[in-house]
Amino acid sequence: MAENTVKMDRDKDGLVREETQSGIYVKPVFTPEDLADTDYTREIADPGNYPFTRGIYPKMYRDRLWLKAFLVSYDTPESTNAAFKSYMEQGMNDLRLTCDLPTQNGFDPDHPLAMASMFCGGISSYAINTYETMLEGLPLENVVYEGGFMNVLDAIYFHGLLVAMIENRGGDITRLLGTDIADPIRSKLVYGDPSWPTEVERRVLMDHIEYCLEHTPKWKPVVPNGIDPCQAGMNAIHELGEVIAVSTAIIDDFVKRGHTIDEFGPMVVAMDAESDFFESIAKFRAARRMWAKVAKERFHAKKASTMKLKIGIRTSGLSLQARKPLNNAARITIQTLAGVLGGVNSIDACSIDEALGLPSYEARMFTLDMQHILAHEADIPLAADPLGGSYYVEWLTNELEKQADTYLLEVEKRGGIYECLENGWLYQLMEEDRLRVQKEKAEGKRLIIGYNAYTGEEGTLNQAVGKAACTVPDEKVREERIAEVKAFRASRNQEAVKAAIRKLYLDTKNGKNISRAVIDGGKAGLTIGEVCGVVRLGYDLSYDSVNMIPTPDDVAAALKDIM
Amino acid sequence: MAVKFRILVAKAGCDIHERGALTMIHVFRDAGMEVIYTGRYQSEANIARTAVAEDVDIIGVSDLTGGLPVICRKLLRELKGLEADIPVFCGGLMTEKDKEEMAAMGVAGTFDTGSTPDLCLVHVRNILETKCRSEGKAYGKDDNPGTA
Repeated sequence: MAENTVKMDRDKDGLVREETQSGIYVKPVFTPEDLADTDYTREIADPGNYPFTRGIYPKMYRDRLWLKAFLVSYDTPESTNAAFKSYMEQGMNDLRLTCDLPTQNGFDPDHPLAMASMFCGGISSYAINTYETMLEGLPLENVVYEGGFMNVLDAIYFHGLLVAMIENRGGDITRLLGTDIADPIRSKLVYGDPSWPTEVERRVLMDHIEYCLEHTPKWKPVVPNGIDPCQAGMNAIHELGEVIAVSTAIIDDFVKRGHTIDEFGPMVVAMDAESDFFESIAKFRAARRMWAKVAKERFHAKKASTMKLKIGIRTSGLSLQARKPLNNAARITIQTLAGVLGGVNSIDACSIDEALGLPSYEARMFTLDMQHILAHEADIPLAADPLGGSYYVEWLTNELEKQADTYLLEVEKRGGIYECLENGWLYQLMEEDRLRVQKEKAEGKRLIIGYNAYTGEEGTLNQAVGKAACTVPDEKVREERIAEVKAFRASRNQEAVKAAIRKLYLDTKNGKNISRAVIDGGKAGLTIGEVCGVVRLGYDLSYDSVNMIPTPDDVAAALKDIM
Repeated sequence: MAVKFRILVAKAGCDIHERGALTMIHVFRDAGMEVIYTGRYQSEANIARTAVAEDVDIIGVSDLTGGLPVICRKLLRELKGLEADIPVFCGGLMTEKDKEEMAAMGVAGTFDTGSTPDLCLVHVRNILETKCRSEGKAYGKDDNPGTA
């Protein structure tokens, strides 16, 4: 052989791990033996049948495909409005609302902490004027709205704006359809959100649930979120346990108020489609089975519909790479497919440029087209739960449930999920999972293509992706927003504002359900910062959650004689 | 006498993505540096004040929402106001345009999410060692074991 012949090694580039992403050891092959103790009718069952392992509808996507959604929020209400309309033409069929991080925290644009993060994550929707522009020309009734927010303040405030807008138009609020993806555990665990303390969130959440059940029954007021705990570090077992534990804690609180789980109806959770394909599929299937059992055995659900767990997923933002972003197309396709094969109900798939900036239009279109390809070219949705009966998938579903159950017993032993949040155990668990992954990446036991393996030069295609990503507007536009919110406040009917502030404060102080006061406050133009602060005052807390600004003069004046 | 580098890892504004910062805290600590973390929800003024009060050698700002140019610009202004000659580097979500803008304003290093922790560590050590040399200070290699 000539000296300069390139050596080819067939055994190079073999697998470096034998476990799932969460560390579950996987045998080289699974057989009927592995399912010998699994009774089909009791544990797996046909789709649409308890315990809904295979899906909550008998024919799943044959009857209706999954909802395709994006979080759509750009720097202005106008550009967000335009984006909604253009995506709807291309097949997006629900509207996922969000706003920038300061707004989610309850900081108006003129709060000292707002500047650094304004428009990061979306529009600065501080009050009803921004919502009216953002949703101009879009239907409010019988269209699915999903609120992707971080905490209970956001859930109640933005639901309140939608109700206010429908009422202002003389519409029917019972036709408001959608969800609030927020829960009090994740707001603190993942975000460390300062807006309202956990006890306040927990209590206001119950108010919000009761209001929605009575007045906007098609609106799911709470959706326990496993996405962010997962992205912040939790492995699949802990994410799975987390959504079940949070869902359980919420129904526990709800039942303590004298209600039944059947009044609450089906639970909806938000979960993450992570890199490990089969583990994600098994996770969704296990979640449905676990919740069905909790609903039936712990809460004595009478109706089958109450035991059905609806799952909305996001694909993993964490898995996206800035290097060689074209590769992200493979990642989001595989993760979306995991959601489809896992029988989820709605999918918010990432865009290939999200590791570089806000998604560009074309990147979004690829994400939609990819789902159209899965549905119409690859014929994936024809048969419900096509992986049902797979020895590996059923075994992994069982294994995830088993390990999550062990974790849940531990949570119970330690006083429940709220206690585990308060004493830091939950955060520590999440941090341990995160450290494990960090170590694996550093040791080459977890390969990330383009990052710690198969790195290579980027060519024009990859570079083009990077150039297309949207950047966030700079200081000039942010200063404009600050001026705008001040002008907006000054333009309001001051008497209506004063009355709204007083009502919200008194309802809070007197232990009433504050939903109506929040809705009416929204109509009067109360900003989210004001709603956050006035409720805080009602609980004898400082107006500003981070103690950087005092109670605004007009709020103090409005409450002078009653505070 | 060997010197232990002191590094302030900071987050400004409302960015809640902590994973990158937490990862780098461990990396810097494992490399023998003393790391102080500001936590989330900080103002740039507070970060600058803390950096001076803690007498750190370098500040690392983390942001995963695209706010780095705005944050760095403000932080550099705050540091100038305090007459603090502390280099600032940053990590997180950034476009090529952002990197150019930040280099032009005097940010000492920009690490997007595609950079490995080691790359960042090597660069940070270089900045610190250069700074020590220019100030005539000794610095110890054995205080900073690990890669590179």
